[in-house]
Amino acid sequence: MTRTVQTLRRAVQTLSFLFLLYLILRTAFPLELKMPVDLYLRLDPFIAIITLLGKKAFILSMLPAFGVLLLVFVFGNFFCGWFCPMGATIDFFDRVLFREKKRPKGFNEQPLRRLRYGIFLFSLAAGLMAWQLLYLLDPISLITRTLVISFYPPAIYVFNHLIPKIQMILPRNPHIISDIPLPLFKVNLFIFVIFLGILVLGLVRKRFWCRYLCPLGTLFSMTSRLRIFRRSVTNECTHCLKCVKDCPGGAIPEQEPQTYRQQDCVSCLKCLDCPPKAVSFKFAFPRWKSVEQVSLSRRYVLGSFGFGLLSALVIKTNPLQTESTLKNNRLIRPPGSLPEDEFVTVCTGCGQCLKVCPNNALQSTLLEAGLAGLYTPRLVPRIGYCEEFCNFCGRVCPTAAIKPLPVEEKRLIQVGVAHINKTRCIAWDTDKICLVCNEQCSYQAIVGDEKKRPIVKEEKCTGCGICENKCPVDGESAIIVYASGVQKILTPNNNS
Amino acid sequence: MDCLHRKHLTRRQFLKGAATAVALPHLVSVPSLLDPPPVHASGESDLIIAKQGSPTQLLQAALAPLGGMGRFVKQGQRVVIKANIAWARTPEQGCTNNPELFMALIKICYDAGAKRVAVWDHTCDNYQFTFSRSGLKDAAQKAGADIFSGHGQNVYKPVQIPKGKKLKKAEILRDVLESDVFINFPIPKHHFATELTLGMKNLIGIVWDMEQLHKIDLHQCIADVSTLRKPDLVVMDAIRILTTNGPKGPGKTEDIGEVAASSDMVAIDSYGATYFKNPKTGKPFKGEEILFVKHAYDLGLGQIDLAKVQVKRVSAT
Repeated sequence: MTRTVQTLRRAVQTLSFLFLLYLILRTAFPLELKMPVDLYLRLDPFIAIITLLGKKAFILSMLPAFGVLLLVFVFGNFFCGWFCPMGATIDFFDRVLFREKKRPKGFNEQPLRRLRYGIFLFSLAAGLMAWQLLYLLDPISLITRTLVISFYPPAIYVFNHLIPKIQMILPRNPHIISDIPLPLFKVNLFIFVIFLGILVLGLVRKRFWCRYLCPLGTLFSMTSRLRIFRRSVTNECTHCLKCVKDCPGGAIPEQEPQTYRQQDCVSCLKCLDCPPKAVSFKFAFPRWKSVEQVSLSRRYVLGSFGFGLLSALVIKTNPLQTESTLKNNRLIRPPGSLPEDEFVTVCTGCGQCLKVCPNNALQSTLLEAGLAGLYTPRLVPRIGYCEEFCNFCGRVCPTAAIKPLPVEEKRLIQVGVAHINKTRCIAWDTDKICLVCNEQCSYQAIVGDEKKRPIVKEEKCTGCGICENKCPVDGESAIIVYASGVQKILTPNNNS
Repeated sequence: MDCLHRKHLTRRQFLKGAATAVALPHLVSVPSLLDPPPVHASGESDLIIAKQGSPTQLLQAALAPLGGMGRFVKQGQRVVIKANIAWARTPEQGCTNNPELFMALIKICYDAGAKRVAVWDHTCDNYQFTFSRSGLKDAAQKAGADIFSGHGQNVYKPVQIPKGKKLKKAEILRDVLESDVFINFPIPKHHFATELTLGMKNLIGIVWDMEQLHKIDLHQCIADVSTLRKPDLVVMDAIRILTTNGPKGPGKTEDIGEVAASSDMVAIDSYGATYFKNPKTGKPFKGEEILFVKHAYDLGLGQIDLAKVQVKRVSAT
């Protein structure tokens, strides 16, 4: 019975992870999936609450998240134990790589358990000051971002190398299938190392990340104290401590295995595998009281909160931040993005827009938008340009940091303006005929003069960057798009 | 009857061409459609222009005097068509091939016994968007052809261009080089940089780093690339042409309602140029005025002087 429960749980976890993978893979042209591809992010109550605070407006697409929160009141942190793709990954690696005997014994959990609330309060305060540290730690955003940025490009690399082999066994030879252009993300190493770090923490304790760091888990802990689906232990308990050892959340205290900290229980039901069969789960009246509570002193709470506020202020007054819109005019946001201040507050850095962009034009920032803008998307035209009839980035954004716009509206948004570097331009610098930029321009914003040299019409240029992308000059392009600060809407008749 | 009549014309056409050009007596005595005269020999160029009719009729009418598709495509051969699917534009905007004509071309290849018809283009906009917006992916699939985009470098083959004047080597679509029959399927358009986009300009879409050619000498490169794999047949889709804001458009279009076919890629480009008015002279363009056509003629790729080409105008209905 208990074994079936665990097999079932592992199957659910695997399926949940594979489903996320499937959704990420389908976050691509033609984007016609019936269900939202950002489903997991929409189910994340943590993101819902933080964007609610940051944006000060309710986002309808995030409504399912509150349903999850309601379920947590009933079943506790079942999401962590059964559905969380990050939890599933951690469980898998904990099981495969780190055996129990490798883990240090006798270690005082108290400070770490407290740390989790400290981080939560710190980040909450920072979030109120518009430094969205929490998004970086949110497990759904984190796993999506990691899969997109660090794992998707290697997968494509392998796929491209397998193409010739696949073609050999295809019946309708000779089929020639083009490589998928390799997606490039500059922050992939950084994100990969963080991901590895989270997995390696499993050496110290099972589900280290979930127990001591995860902010979504912390939120779930707070709500699941009042859970209805509760564990109960009969007197037959022999203090064999099997359940203590098995519990991935460390929710059962060694001294009193008959009790448990309901807020840390991920409802994995592993403790049902009890030699005297003393453990059962029943629906029972909710109780706030718990054993071995984390001692959150007033000083600790206020300290974390105040420190969060201060840190956010320091980061916000850093020149990287204050100048991100004024002086960094290579910071081009995707069309339909909210104004910069709001954008960095609402963008969760999940990487969905990076994945869906058909031209790999969107790149994750590291410090280009300041620390507060970490992992936010920016358009890098030399890598890829913004496709004229594509509005995918807005359509997959779970928090509407990039507004979902109809294609016709998106075509009128000016994210920047192209400028020609006449000392590098082939047509201006030599007597050759080039005009690649004019030929490629979708909006007729580049015209040729009488000598067939390109000239940019600012009132028509959307800053899509196709000119910068296709410019045949080696290295830096001879035509460069600079952000226009605030995105403008061009008048339609200019653009027909 | 109509069919017989046409066949008769074809034979006469053929006889006349053979007699005037090569004047080989034994050919006159054995007139046969299965044994056509050599295609690229100078003075023999046939250029057929079909007018009036549906795209399918136009195509059939344009090909019949050349000996039908059967002259170019033999049983079991692999056919590669280089279409113009470069831009994410709708068929009405006249920037990409006419889908109906495109389907007719694929079908006629299969009817002639082609084993496989593959359509290629190295698109300028993202291929997913150009394929769907132009309606040509659907059209190709309906007609049973494979449609491929050259967005990955792995489908190209680095080759030397021995006859090239300025371009000595390039990476060319492998499938085009290895095809049994290669059909160029351009749509004539205005073009800011080269004045016009014609058949040979369309062939630039078989090159991997197309934009780099602008750095060398675009016109000469177009001619140089054309020396590599001469299309066996050029079908020019002039049903609706783009006369301004080319090649990407959208701009003004003109419904010419013609389909031209030839195996001489210079002659057909020389003819295609006449659809457009030269802004400097106010008269229709001549082949010599389009530099890449001139360069191709200089390289001996075909006849530029339409007076020396046997031009035949037919009505499709």
